[in-house]
Amino acid sequence: MIVEILDIVIAGLLLGGLYALIAMGLSLQYGVARVLNISHGEFIMLGALGAWFLFGFGVNPLVSLAICGPVTFIIGFLLYRTVFTRLRTSSASIGAYEGSSMLASFGLLFIIQSIALIAWGSGIKGYTYLAFPVNVGGALFAANRLVALAFAVFLGLVFYFFLVRTRLGKAIRAAAQDPATAGLMGVNINQVLALCFGLGAMMAGFAGLLISICYPVNTTMGLEYTIITIIVVVLGGLGSIPGSFIGGFILGLIGSIVTYLEPGLSLAAYYVLFMLLLLVRPTGILGK
Amino acid sequence: MLEVSNIDVFYGKIQALWGVSLRVDQEEIVALIGANGAGKTTLLNTIGGSLRPASGNVMFLGKKIAGLALPAIVESGIAHIPEGGKPFPDMSVRENLEMGAYPYRAWTRKEETLKQVYHIFPRLRERERQLARTLSGGEKQMLAMGRGLMSKPRLCLFDEPSYGLAPIILLELFRVIKSLREQGLTVFLIEQNVRHSLEIADRAYVMENGRITSEGKSKELLQNDHIKKAYLGL
Ligand SMILES: Nc1ncnc2c1ncn2[C@@H]1O[C@H](COP(=O)(O)OP(=O)(O)O)[C@@H](O)[C@H]1O
Ligand SMILES: [Mg+2]
Repeated sequence: MIVEILDIVIAGLLLGGLYALIAMGLSLQYGVARVLNISHGEFIMLGALGAWFLFGFGVNPLVSLAICGPVTFIIGFLLYRTVFTRLRTSSASIGAYEGSSMLASFGLLFIIQSIALIAWGSGIKGYTYLAFPVNVGGALFAANRLVALAFAVFLGLVFYFFLVRTRLGKAIRAAAQDPATAGLMGVNINQVLALCFGLGAMMAGFAGLLISICYPVNTTMGLEYTIITIIVVVLGGLGSIPGSFIGGFILGLIGSIVTYLEPGLSLAAYYVLFMLLLLVRPTGILGK
Repeated sequence: MLEVSNIDVFYGKIQALWGVSLRVDQEEIVALIGANGAGKTTLLNTIGGSLRPASGNVMFLGKKIAGLALPAIVESGIAHIPEGGKPFPDMSVRENLEMGAYPYRAWTRKEETLKQVYHIFPRLRERERQLARTLSGGEKQMLAMGRGLMSKPRLCLFDEPSYGLAPIILLELFRVIKSLREQGLTVFLIEQNVRHSLEIADRAYVMENGRITSEGKSKELLQNDHIKKAYLGL
């Protein structure tokens, strides 16, 4: 019994850590840069497939973190500087911009996915890394899961402290609360928004890479993660970074319990939870 | 120090400022008074860099600043304390003050400046860890002023600091504004509260319908018949 509970909890924490990472990324993109990024899952896919691709050349996945992270960051940053900045300056209102930027991100989903399909095909891909079992209090876990969990929590905390402690992190939070006044402080708003979009893409890339260490991946995996991410972000309170972190772990644990009871029902359980939440507390756990 | 020459400012096709010129000298306190909708905020936003003049020029410390990007204007030594203060609601008092020190030249000295600001506003030190959203109206305005001072400015632009404040707090804040001069600061203040601003200012301009209609020493304007009638209710 104890072993089974431990099994569910650790699996839930792993899933939760990944969700938290991904949702913090989208929170940043939506809460600050005002893009409800439907192509978020594609950056997860890029991180995952990138790690698999590099593994084929003998690159250790943990080394790939230092490659896939910056690459997804640069793609996100440049996309914002080109596509989204242009949409923002040409939109009449913030509401119009939220609409047009979401549509643009839909387009990006198809573009990124098609390029990946052409490059890598649609087959399921996986690699073996740290697959030996580790005994945790009587329950056995593949070492790669524990490594992924540790990295997800570590990256989430680093990111959180970046936002809370550093000059740039404070500027990002100020811009999220009131971009015009942040501008009066001397914050270069265009740059900060692009930075947020890039960082969000990087979090997705990191999460994708950690997913590929544990599970098989493919080029069409993105959309399901986008949906889960949106659920987590709403659960945590739209745009709230700590809310996303907590919401990720809650959803991960629920997913793990449901999967244990009836595998295949976890996505349905997420939707039910999502609906209930919208009825009971539409602003999310930490929303206002 | 600050010289605005003949600027026209538009919102789309609608003209809000018409050939506005004015001058603020080093360590002066200059007020611009005018009714609601006269164009005061528009003028301050243009000096501060949030709006661009369609024609005319703004010079600060001998350099042209009209058309520069906001960060460059803040970096050059202008602090803009906006209407209503607008502190960041979900940041603590201390974090708001730190945000004021965002320009690099101020960031490296922020601990020292923070002490000076807490000395001016002891109330902010008491509320250091409180979220700005929980402050009273007067405290929010103090926080906005403190945040402006954190950038180590040469010139402070105040947009209606008296707005919505109880008379006692208003007097306290105006006393602080007056004392800024002793620290080598220059103040440009826009206000609807004509009496109090003329009492602390050296000189003043009057704005009506987007134009400067009169100017002079504050003492003289306080005696001016038109101003007495239109703004002081005498
Ligand atoms: N963002 C804006 N768009 C269009 N018109 C504006 C805008 N802001 C102000 N105005 C107009 O410009 C004029 C001057 O406004 P403002 O500078 O805010 O005056 P004041 O600060 O003296 O009350 C008003 O007629 C106002 O309606
Ligand atoms: Mg105004």
